[in-house]
Amino acid sequence: MAGNKLISLAEAVRRFTWDGMQYASGAALPVGSDAVVFGRELLRHGRRDLHAVFHCNTQQLNLLAAAGAVTKAECGFSGLEVFGFANGLRRAVESGALALEDYSNFAMALRLMGGALNWPFVPATVNIGSDIQDRSAFAPGEHPAHGKIPTVTDPFTGRPVGAFSPLAPDLAAIHVTLADPQGNAIMLGTEWSRFELSRAAKRVVLVADAIVDTACMRQFPNLVRIPDIVVEAVVHWPFAAWPQGSPGMYDVDEEHMRLMNKLLATEEGTAQYRRDFVESYDDLDGYLALIGAAKRAALSATETAFLLDPYRRWILTADAVAALQAQGGAA
Amino acid sequence: MTRPYTRQEMMAIATGREIRDGELAIFGVGLSMLAGYFAQAHHAPTVRAMTEGGVYGSTPVGGLPWGIECNRISANATSFTSALDALGCLVASGRCDVGIIGAAQVDRFGNVNTTGIWDGEIGDTYRPPKTRLTGAGGANDIACGAKRYVIMVTHEPKRFAERVTYVSSPGYLEGGDTRARHGFIGGGPSAIVTTLGILRPHAVTKEFELDGWFAFSSVEEIRANTGWDLKVRDGARVIAEPSDAELAALRKVDETGVLRRE
Repeated sequence: MAGNKLISLAEAVRRFTWDGMQYASGAALPVGSDAVVFGRELLRHGRRDLHAVFHCNTQQLNLLAAAGAVTKAECGFSGLEVFGFANGLRRAVESGALALEDYSNFAMALRLMGGALNWPFVPATVNIGSDIQDRSAFAPGEHPAHGKIPTVTDPFTGRPVGAFSPLAPDLAAIHVTLADPQGNAIMLGTEWSRFELSRAAKRVVLVADAIVDTACMRQFPNLVRIPDIVVEAVVHWPFAAWPQGSPGMYDVDEEHMRLMNKLLATEEGTAQYRRDFVESYDDLDGYLALIGAAKRAALSATETAFLLDPYRRWILTADAVAALQAQGGAA
Repeated sequence: MTRPYTRQEMMAIATGREIRDGELAIFGVGLSMLAGYFAQAHHAPTVRAMTEGGVYGSTPVGGLPWGIECNRISANATSFTSALDALGCLVASGRCDVGIIGAAQVDRFGNVNTTGIWDGEIGDTYRPPKTRLTGAGGANDIACGAKRYVIMVTHEPKRFAERVTYVSSPGYLEGGDTRARHGFIGGGPSAIVTTLGILRPHAVTKEFELDGWFAFSSVEEIRANTGWDLKVRDGARVIAEPSDAELAALRKVDETGVLRRE
């Protein structure tokens, strides 16, 4: 098949990541879509000194930060919503091991849009007048932090506005519900900032819960917000966002969300989590067994399952995906 | 204390009363969402409710959503869009009438800290907080862009500071016209609704003053739990207790009983 970009998760991490890189997650806020499994794989490959660009913290950043793999991060929101504070991230921030640069959620979206459009800066009237503008974890000695969100003058009205720096991360691992082997993708649920990120990042790897035939994309081209022309590789990984939820596919795993955050609160707990839930599987089958068949069935019985109905007929079987992956991703 | 509702429920109902029918309203995750959906269920049936997640037209199913992107709020949506749309086109644009945000710490001018707790002042060189909190999220954007917003916060001395250590979301900054000088699209906080009563800003100084107390509270209790010398407005009075209809509407929205735990 021409343009088949399916590769394994391990191959994607080997090929597209390195120590010290600027790594972005394509997610939908802290408890929804996110390629959490890509973060697990980064740890399995021993990646370190990452500069993480996470529009919002997720369990992926919580894990990477807890494991000491991140030294810099930029975020709009650093909690886990109703699950509370992100214990791994907060521990890394409080100890000084990780410099967390704060923005607001809109500011992060604007910065990604600026990167996508290759704008020199993005003007806006958020974050100004607050300590988000005046304080910088990346330039702690500057107060006010003139280089973070400089105030500029609107040339038309003369009023002060904030100038936001664009983002262009080295890699974005973007979680999507459905992708075809070429890298066209459909996201169910809010896309949050995954559209902008897919154009802002220097490289994009999709991590898809399911792979569909391209005929699906031809049926719903308006819904294909990430087209293959901006995508380097496609990874098939069911339950890629676990323990977070994926609309149409599976719900949040409340029990594991709490267990994971509890363990990441300490170094010993983090070591235990890595042993039990990061290093403990060899492949996709092993990963799915780790979650467990009963748990997967319960999480899949989601109130949102009907969202997937229009697309089900094009979802490829595991065997078909494996066959495609065996020949895909020729560099 | 024997009363047929909790302080949290009173806070949610008092917050919901701030929302008017037909308004474009943005709610955060958790308590603020319950207050907002209570208003919709009770007195504001045509409120145009939204969250910053870009999930529109939906009401929660199966209990309080874990997050504003969660399946519990994605099961009956009529539109899914994005952060740029929700926080930008609908809030930063100036379209949004009212928002509800939470706070770890709030000060006399309605500035909110949700970023961290430091031991003393931060100082000239930025340093990590002793306790890292969640950061601003979309609250800063709501505080900058919504026509008005309501701050919902538990009334405790440690949360009501003369001056917040870190301004995550701007209220009236140093008071007076200091907010106006920045040229924000939005007007600033219209009320701080707490577990004990309601504070509102003075028209000129923008200092928050006590406007009313709940039936189970008092001026003395509120002043004792406020970290600045709280002024009491002329005409401040006890706030009406929840009606049966209000409590029924709230409890229908709060089906897992998050607010019923004291």
